[in-house]
Amino acid sequence: MKAEESQSQWSRRLALTWAVLVGLTLVSLVAVLGFGHSEAGLVAVAVALTASFLKARLVLDHFLDLRRAGSGWRGFFNGALLLILLILFATYLAADY
Amino acid sequence: MNETTPDPSSGTADGGGWGALSDLPGNPIMWVLIISELLVFGAFFVAFGIARVLDVETFRAGQAMLDVRMGGLNTLVLVTSGWLAAKAVQRQSAGAGFAARSYLAGAGALGLVFLLIKGVEYAAKAAQGIDIETNTFFTLFYLMTGFHAMHVIMGVIVLAIVGWKNSSDNLETGAAFWHMVDLIWLILFPIVYLLR
Repeated sequence: MKAEESQSQWSRRLALTWAVLVGLTLVSLVAVLGFGHSEAGLVAVAVALTASFLKARLVLDHFLDLRRAGSGWRGFFNGALLLILLILFATYLAADY
Repeated sequence: MNETTPDPSSGTADGGGWGALSDLPGNPIMWVLIISELLVFGAFFVAFGIARVLDVETFRAGQAMLDVRMGGLNTLVLVTSGWLAAKAVQRQSAGAGFAARSYLAGAGALGLVFLLIKGVEYAAKAAQGIDIETNTFFTLFYLMTGFHAMHVIMGVIVLAIVGWKNSSDNLETGAAFWHMVDLIWLILFPIVYLLR
């Protein structure tokens, strides 16, 4: 609950969320631009999709404040995100391997 | 109907009528929109993946023509914009209306930067003679990124409106729309640009 969090704690949490979002974006860019066309291409794609999932969770939990919602809703969004990203990973495997 | 509520920024202040949606922070109707948008874009993403399986050579060639750095830069622009929108909500809750408006203006300005970069990207493609009818990949590329860009335009307008009528509830709802636009890009970018 926000009431239990001071303004400065809230501010720090948002700044940390942003920093991790930037970090994950850079990690996936380095993975794909650096290794995308090598034998590690599959790993690069897995890294990019995992980073995407983590980034989506961060935006949902901290920017959209879904952490205040019940576990049912968090489970729903987790499930929907995982489903979409796993389907895309499966289509990538089907097309490229 | 608005009953007397001690905290208008509380998402559950409406009391009832929204069922499970009342458990979500902010205005329930915005969550209806967020969930619908996620499902629509989710269907788009799955269709993109299936179309790629059916014609992988065309998709690989198309994806190789995309500028990953441009898409990456736009990801950084949007997450930074999302942070500023979240900061606006935080400052507003502390009663700092001017600071909140400033953060919101920053978030909106970065939304315009996103559109500018997208415009440069589209112009570069057009200069290469590529358009929505070039092939299946570019049809989907323009549909998905164009549909998303329209949401960015709408989002900038929403941010301007809630910056003007800046109650905490309005700000939280407007920022939620903006985060949804950010969220969709965070999934769209890797799927279209990075899965190659």
